[in-house]
Amino acid sequence: MNKVVTVNLNGTAYQLEESGYDALRAYLDEAAAKLAGNPDRDEIMSDIEQAVADKLRTLLGPYKNVAATAQVQAIIAEMGPVEAGAEMPPNEPPPREKAGGAGGAGATGNAQSTVPPEAAKRLYRLYDGAMICGVCNGIAAYFNLDPTIIRLVFVIAGMLTGGIGLVAYIIMAVVVPAAGTAAEKEAARGATNWTAQEFIRRARAGYYEGMKGFPDREAQRAWKRKFREDMRDWRRSFRWQTRWGGCAGQSHWHSYWAEHPFMETGWGIALPFLTLFNAVLAIGFIIAVISLLTNGTLIGQTPPAGMPVWLTLVLLLLAYNFIVWPIKAARHVFYRHGICGARPGPRVFVSLWDTFVWIAFVCVLLWLALHHLPQVQEAVRNIPAVFHDAKEGINDWWTHH
Amino acid sequence: MILDDKFAPIRKGLLEFILLKIIAVEKVYAADILKQLSSTEFATQEGTLYPLLSKMRREELLDYDWKESEAGPPRKYYELTAKGRAQLKETSEYWQKINETVKQFSQK
Repeated sequence: MNKVVTVNLNGTAYQLEESGYDALRAYLDEAAAKLAGNPDRDEIMSDIEQAVADKLRTLLGPYKNVAATAQVQAIIAEMGPVEAGAEMPPNEPPPREKAGGAGGAGATGNAQSTVPPEAAKRLYRLYDGAMICGVCNGIAAYFNLDPTIIRLVFVIAGMLTGGIGLVAYIIMAVVVPAAGTAAEKEAARGATNWTAQEFIRRARAGYYEGMKGFPDREAQRAWKRKFREDMRDWRRSFRWQTRWGGCAGQSHWHSYWAEHPFMETGWGIALPFLTLFNAVLAIGFIIAVISLLTNGTLIGQTPPAGMPVWLTLVLLLLAYNFIVWPIKAARHVFYRHGICGARPGPRVFVSLWDTFVWIAFVCVLLWLALHHLPQVQEAVRNIPAVFHDAKEGINDWWTHH
Repeated sequence: MILDDKFAPIRKGLLEFILLKIIAVEKVYAADILKQLSSTEFATQEGTLYPLLSKMRREELLDYDWKESEAGPPRKYYELTAKGRAQLKETSEYWQKINETVKQFSQK
């Protein structure tokens, strides 16, 4: 519970949390002190109060009427320290101006206390600038990346994995809440100054710094060429090895089955169970990803502190693929015709049986979820709204391009 | 960025010229100016802009009048005075000259 202070900013009343009020008071006092001796002091002060009031008004919107401390601090950071203009003594180093990036939250005096604290981040869908339902936009805001990159990742992953990207998108469109209020939009972006783009920029700068260390341009070029060749060789040999390993395994199993025909029947019966196992793993994986993105826990477990969410996500994906790979490989070997000279067999019945078991399993799971999980019921009720939003989004995009 | 720091004083000095240019185009209010600047190297905060605007007004380079806005209280719309226009012309020419000088050195 926080005490609320009502302030009069240039004739309009606003309510601030007490510590937010203190921060604003300190900022205005400092501004007034900096402007001491300036003939326009009163006018500049009223301009500044008006600007704070405008920002508060857009922030608060029609439903909220108390500004939280973090919001007031964010406004102060956005305003920047007041400079005395031409009257500034020349020997004082000029305060860094905010130029482009997200830095420059104020450098001098008690502006230090006004740097906004790291606000809690949450994953939201963001409609501002969204293309469909704002899923990619929200993820991009969460990781401070360009939404186009996330969209590309979704599309490419969707094509490589045969539709998982699309399914993941639909699930997230249903499950992840949309950011409605200004506070939620702020939480979707977080108030951190440390952006991924900044990180990439620094890494790149470091890379070029390293390149400068080379004695001359020729050596630099030679090093680049060698690096590229190494990478190409490595890729080629990796591809060759995996393909060769796959072929060898396949022909091995085919010759084995040829000698032991009863084993083939055994596999035919076992395969659907592998499929079931695969399905359970896939569902577990999706649940884990959702729980990680929505409340930062991994099915009840918190990932080690200091580990960024994206790293956890990548590790989870790797672990999932690692577990699932043998199952996939087994099914692949069984279904596909031999590409390395092994004898293809008539396995129509087994594939049919496998597919049937899979569909039945999915149906049972869906039925169970619909009848026993309130979240899923909620999500299903939301589906029409989500598709409506999507339609609106596409319409909007269509008419504006 | 090293260049960013190096050129901070130059950007600071040019800000007044940029403001003259922006205000010469049409009558604007402060938030509008900040928005136009925000995506450029001259991104500025209120704490810098307001003192500079009032200094320019005191030097009679610009003037403002109050206008009602659809949302909220009336706003100050700034416009250039005759003196402001003269200064803009002068500064533009001077800036042109500096640019040519800089170019001339790189030609050899």
